[in-house]
Amino acid sequence: MGDEPSKDGKRFDPTEPWRGVRDVYLDAWAKAMVDMVNSEAYAQATGTMLDTYLSVSAPFREAIEKAMLKALEQLAMPSRADVVSIAERMTNIEMRLDDLDAKLDNIQRLVASSGAPPARTTTTAQVRKKAAKTKPAKRGKK
Amino acid sequence: MAEAPVITDPFTEAANRLKTLNKVMTTKAAIAQTPKELIWTLNKTKLYRYIPVLPKEKRHPVPLLLVFALMNRPYILDLRPGHSFVEYMVRNGYDLYLLDWGAPGPEDKHLKFDDYVLDYLPRAIRKLKATSEVEEFSLLGWCIGAILTTLYAALRPDDGLRNLILLTAPLDFSNKQGLTFSRWVDERYFDVEKMLATFGNMPGEMLDYGAKALKPVENYLGNYLKLWDNLDDPRVVDAWHAMNTWVTDNVPLAGGAFRQLIVDLYRNDKLMRGEFVVRGERVDLSRIRANLLTVIAEADHITPSCQSEPIMSKVRSKDKELFRIAGGHIGIMAGSGASKHTWPHIDGWLAPRSQ
Repeated sequence: MGDEPSKDGKRFDPTEPWRGVRDVYLDAWAKAMVDMVNSEAYAQATGTMLDTYLSVSAPFREAIEKAMLKALEQLAMPSRADVVSIAERMTNIEMRLDDLDAKLDNIQRLVASSGAPPARTTTTAQVRKKAAKTKPAKRGKK
Repeated sequence: MAEAPVITDPFTEAANRLKTLNKVMTTKAAIAQTPKELIWTLNKTKLYRYIPVLPKEKRHPVPLLLVFALMNRPYILDLRPGHSFVEYMVRNGYDLYLLDWGAPGPEDKHLKFDDYVLDYLPRAIRKLKATSEVEEFSLLGWCIGAILTTLYAALRPDDGLRNLILLTAPLDFSNKQGLTFSRWVDERYFDVEKMLATFGNMPGEMLDYGAKALKPVENYLGNYLKLWDNLDDPRVVDAWHAMNTWVTDNVPLAGGAFRQLIVDLYRNDKLMRGEFVVRGERVDLSRIRANLLTVIAEADHITPSCQSEPIMSKVRSKDKELFRIAGGHIGIMAGSGASKHTWPHIDGWLAPRSQ
């Protein structure tokens, strides 16, 4: 029967010859398209299209932005500019924190290289345990 | 007892193929699965350290930092288990770090190469050195990541950079006829200021269109026909699914960096001419002294070899090698032959220089 697998395990595919023709055609088409996108005319055409899009859409975009800004103001909501400003400030804070982190690393390295024992760190759990062990002071008696 | 043969009629087969097609076109593949820990962040940028699989005494003492392009996700370096450069390098004993630039938001539209090279990269490297407790390290930059690492290597040659690996590095923009992008972004046709005034950052979809339009038939048709022809081959389908997940995960490029890429590099070739300035410092490529491996993909239509070769004569590195390999811009690192050719060559070059 026609749809039984052949010896190499592959089923007979009636579209195989068509695929060969298709691939040859695609190769030729691909080369022609690469030549086309490499041309000065293509660069000029796409540049013109993009420029037209940006110019035509600008007034609509500006109108939407203005309307959105007013709406957000009415709703007492932050605008994009406000969010951007906060995000920029957050990045600056992160930079300062990173500077501090660098300085701490330096101090740790200097301490380690000087041969001094590492600083004792106390965890919150250790502090609580210690506090629980100490007897509370009696009030009212002196 | 022999198993009964599975009989599939043409309709069931067609239904199965359509199910597979639907799955790969509408879902995301599981990618970037090599275990890692986040050790540092700044703004959208993240520095990951991959969990070593070898004991410390068997690892190379000099860590390696991977720096990918700004406008694509870096997990192309760790695409899927069994086919991951990251996994390969970790298994070969590298203390491996990955810098993920993240996706810039509207607040990042002013970010320039200056910020990436003199703020983000040095800070990430400081953290890497502190984490690995080393003074020297290696850098691997790919595509725009190679521009950033080259700038860093030239501006901070005394910061402990021992080895520099540049993959498909677009550094020389003098051959205008050989660069399709140069023609497209010519100032007669492309208004970069109008574009950035409209969008702030360069949208990822537009960058994706630009890359795909270099080979429109292959990218918009041939790619899908390849999938259709191999829908009953799980190996091809899995590879296609993972790559499609990466290709469709676009990231915008910060406006300031995009302006520099177009105006300073594509139009005026300032880096090779020694006129590229980063925060007042002129970038002098002859200050690069790190051991250098430049990898060129011979069939690279995004970064032709003429963009990567000239750096070899500009640097002062005594130990330098130019390695050419058959394949495309992404294929040399993520294609089916990468694990047999590119990765072993990088490992073979880097291992003795990481002792």
